[in-house]
Amino acid sequence: MRVYLRYAIRETLSNLWRNRLMTIAAVLTVAVSLSLVGAALLLKQSAAQASAQWQQGTRVTVWMEPAATGSELGNVRSQLESLPIVKDCVYYSQTRDYQEAKKILPVVQWSVLKVSDVPSSFRCIPTVPSDAFVVESTFANQPGVYMVTAPEQQIREMNRAIRILQIVFLVLAAVLLLSATVLILNTIRMAIFARRREVSVMKLVGATNWFIRIPYMTEGFIQGLLGSVVAIGAVTALHTWYPLHNEFALSTGALMGTNAVVLIVGVLIGTVGSGLAIRRFLDV
Amino acid sequence: MIRFEHVSKTYKNGTVALRDVSLNIDKGEFVFLVGASGSGKTTFLRLLLREELPDRGRILEAGRDVSKVSSWRVPYLRRNIGCIFQDFRLLPNKTVFENVAFALEVIGRPRTTIDSQVPQILDLVGLTEKAGNRPSELSGGEQQRVAIARAFVNRPLILLADEPTGNLDPSNSETIMALLERINRTGTTVVMATHDKALVDRMRRRVIELDHGEIVRDQVRGVYGIDEPIGGR
Repeated sequence: MRVYLRYAIRETLSNLWRNRLMTIAAVLTVAVSLSLVGAALLLKQSAAQASAQWQQGTRVTVWMEPAATGSELGNVRSQLESLPIVKDCVYYSQTRDYQEAKKILPVVQWSVLKVSDVPSSFRCIPTVPSDAFVVESTFANQPGVYMVTAPEQQIREMNRAIRILQIVFLVLAAVLLLSATVLILNTIRMAIFARRREVSVMKLVGATNWFIRIPYMTEGFIQGLLGSVVAIGAVTALHTWYPLHNEFALSTGALMGTNAVVLIVGVLIGTVGSGLAIRRFLDV
Repeated sequence: MIRFEHVSKTYKNGTVALRDVSLNIDKGEFVFLVGASGSGKTTFLRLLLREELPDRGRILEAGRDVSKVSSWRVPYLRRNIGCIFQDFRLLPNKTVFENVAFALEVIGRPRTTIDSQVPQILDLVGLTEKAGNRPSELSGGEQQRVAIARAFVNRPLILLADEPTGNLDPSNSETIMALLERINRTGTTVVMATHDKALVDRMRRRVIELDHGEIVRDQVRGVYGIDEPIGGR
């Protein structure tokens, strides 16, 4: 066993070194495609998480003009309270909205902001999420109302955009994964071809099939592994240096899960690629 | 040691390679296989190596029915059979020592075995001095001796030789034959396909002649052939 291990390692490394250009090409293709897969997975997870959070508390915000009069405020408030499709309303005074803005906006922006510039607002929860539009159309043009925002529509549009982006990522990744598999297959084929004399001697003196095959299997496995390690680095870097915020922020667990998928897919590609090459070109 | 019972082999393209061949070769025999090119000699050897399976009949090798050996056990069958060829089939990027060691290495023999067996066998074939050379630095005769060392290092029961002197001059052929005889004296069965008339006539060993896939002669102390027109050399 120890003899074989040493043999297999030596053969694998020398094959990789002999075919280094092809190996690099295969590894990079695996890396790029798996990075895309990883990015698509992260995007999907964070979008799903964010929209789940939003769905829970879909709300409509009626923003008042900062200079809205008391009667205008009273008017809007009484209408909201009498509207059956609105379940619950909370009034945010200008001071309260100012405090919130302080939390959300960067320093440069809120430092020039005065309380009197900030609109006060009614934060309302519609009985049914889709009623948010009705609220929007009812209040948008009332006197003293600055604007009405109902995030439902934006969520839906954003979800669609994310889904399209994700499909594009995955299609690209699938094409690249396929070419990575073919590249690995070809690398292994070249390795087998370069060693056809050795292989024929091995068969002649009675080396077992697995003894002959395993170095090539390992070669493909290592190429897939290297590719996925690079991809994991890229995905982790993306997650660390361009983190998503608020509702989109993903836990470390989600990143680990994604990396695990990337690793498994990479190793699988390597194994499948070399397995196919062995079946087709290593006649033992 | 080797037994053919009504063995027939026809290739897919319709060529009849062997036709109802029956014979028996005992342990420790030295047998010449002669016949024109295309008479079936190579097929005979390929069947023994189980590179081909017979269409009909039975081949017994060391008591085992070759056709019944499952494909994953074929390598173990081959470990009992050494094999040398006209074109030596050495690995050009390995030294003499490494070429011989390779045969042990790939069947999983430990380093200690390799380190003790290889020098022994190189001594037997008289190439101790050349252990560190590559095949390209050797003469044809020396290369064939390396091939013999590789085939015999695992002490097989049977040694198959497919025209081993085909590429060699007479004096090198003599050396190779002497070596094969020496190996034969250790009890190893040797089957040698050849076109070398002078050699066969001088050795006076059993001669089996094939013609169009049939045994036309099986002589205990035979000669190459008398006056038939033979292809090859």
